[in-house]
Amino acid sequence: MELIGGLLYGFSVCFTPANLFACFVGVFVGTLIGVLPGIGPVATMSLLLPVTYAMSPTASIIMMAGIYYGAMYGGSTTSILVNIPGEAASVVTCLDGYQMARQGRAGPALGISAFGSFIAGTFSVLGIMLLAPPLTSVALRFGPPEIFALLVLGFTMVTYLTAGSKLRAVAMALLGMLLGTVGLDPILATPRFTFGSVTLGDGLGLVPIIMGLFGVSEVLLNIERGVTQEVFETRITGLLPTRADWKASAAPIARGSVLGFFLGILPGIGAIIPTFISYALERRISRHPERFGTGAIEGVAAPEAANNAATGGAMIPLLTLGIAPNVVMAVLLGAFLIHGVQPGPLLIREHPDMFWGVIASMYVGNVILLILNLPLIGLWVQLLRVPYGLLFPLILLFCIIGVYSEAGNVWDIVVMLAFGVIGLLMKKYRYEAAPLVLAFVLGRMAEESLRQSLLLSRGHFDILVTRPLATILLVIALAVMVLPALAPPVRRLLGTVGEETGT
Amino acid sequence: MRGADRVSSLVLVVFALVAVNEARKLRLGSLGSPGPGFVPLCLAAALALVGMILLWHALREPESPAPPEEAGARWKSVVSLVALVAYTFALEPAGFVLATAALLFFFFRVLDGQRWWIALASAVAVSVLSYLVFARALNVRLPEGPWS
Repeated sequence: MELIGGLLYGFSVCFTPANLFACFVGVFVGTLIGVLPGIGPVATMSLLLPVTYAMSPTASIIMMAGIYYGAMYGGSTTSILVNIPGEAASVVTCLDGYQMARQGRAGPALGISAFGSFIAGTFSVLGIMLLAPPLTSVALRFGPPEIFALLVLGFTMVTYLTAGSKLRAVAMALLGMLLGTVGLDPILATPRFTFGSVTLGDGLGLVPIIMGLFGVSEVLLNIERGVTQEVFETRITGLLPTRADWKASAAPIARGSVLGFFLGILPGIGAIIPTFISYALERRISRHPERFGTGAIEGVAAPEAANNAATGGAMIPLLTLGIAPNVVMAVLLGAFLIHGVQPGPLLIREHPDMFWGVIASMYVGNVILLILNLPLIGLWVQLLRVPYGLLFPLILLFCIIGVYSEAGNVWDIVVMLAFGVIGLLMKKYRYEAAPLVLAFVLGRMAEESLRQSLLLSRGHFDILVTRPLATILLVIALAVMVLPALAPPVRRLLGTVGEETGT
Repeated sequence: MRGADRVSSLVLVVFALVAVNEARKLRLGSLGSPGPGFVPLCLAAALALVGMILLWHALREPESPAPPEEAGARWKSVVSLVALVAYTFALEPAGFVLATAALLFFFFRVLDGQRWWIALASAVAVSVLSYLVFARALNVRLPEGPWS
């Protein structure tokens, strides 16, 4: 009953005009940037961080979360209609979605991805509601050693589950952690790697790094390579999937939701990997695997459900532990901290309006998205016709405004441009940006918790293995490292999809 | 891409070695009570090691001909970057509206090849509009320049 009471309270928070408006703006902006190539939820959320100063803490988190899951909806629209994933999490949707569009079935493809996302989103909200409160009581027993062990688990997940080369991912994670040490030492406040610069004394900012790696570098790459803008010229009719479509997609949506949600909880996974795994899973258990890649509706339904469910799952570590399991959650964590709220085990007790309000808003947001998206698909298609020559200067301009307005420091723009170049080179030389950014965020926490643990134990490392929770987490981390070598099927599962999408 | 792999891993190694050298200037402390330099030194050393393994892999692979570089378009990203750096340093002296209009005019005219009056009109319109939306409506801090 406590849960129902909490949720009802959440809805009462969410249905205040200001919060409802924030939710609407969030999902609308999210869908918009999901449709537009070259700007994603991470860059957009960072850009809007300063705007949230003027809002209430609850409204700003509601808006930020809305951008994230709204982008998941929008990303699939471009995948299906133009064969360009608006978001990395919609790459897999291209495989069958675009084929469906070519066969004149763009309508059902868009429809099933919207309904699939809605069902998965609903499922993940229920999951958060049921899992987060009991997990908070576990999280209250977390001290520095447990936090450190959890972060170690996160790092191993990031690197060992990456689609590309593991060694390269390790290199990027180490680079990210190293960049995270720039600034003042977390315990003694000694300046490190600052070279006497005031800007570097505060450490490199997360927002300039993210905008550089995810915003500017993408634009620079698109300027060089050009963007193909062939919107599929077809009348989109019949968005509602037929009975046969539903019959084919019901089970894949259910499997995608469960898979996405539980993978999303794990640190370091994000919304992209679950889509690959769920697509591979559907093809493996299908009676007609040869239909995949030629316009099978299951191939659209399952990954679209998986990425939306993963979005919800990722909220759990943030709300219960205050740890960001992926880059988007790192930005969301930043939004909490701007308002002086520390997410973690105490959130549900100290800020119940935020905890339940945000959860309820995700439910409301999913309804808005469903209502908004089906009739507005025509508008999104028009948006894709905006020439890139007009679009890219605006994206760059918004990145600059976002970075500058955070502290009013021109050097933050310089940092962003530098990381734009670094990101461009990383894309060309096939290094992934996500491990770098995540390690940048988690690295500081890891160093702090390690050194606090050692202070607690007066210099004995056995504090990491004598406390049961910490030991369990470290054992899981070790298993993640060792298991892929022992279980090649998992690797194959990931590998085959990777080849097809050319990633 | 093998040649590119050699270059990129070499860059990583060199960067890591510079970081090792910088980290050594900080107080290390001991394993039991690490000082400010301890974690950075470990990270930089590990990065150097991983970079060397990547370099070794790249050197072992036979040299293959470089893939055809996307012809002709690289100048666009270089030019854009130069314009952005110039804009960054002009932002505070010139103010947001003027600097932004100039930057956008450059992008629309030079990179997108719009006619000059269309480029000028849209550049001015976008910069004024974005100033009004961000600075006035959303209270975002933007440099006013000499017009404040």
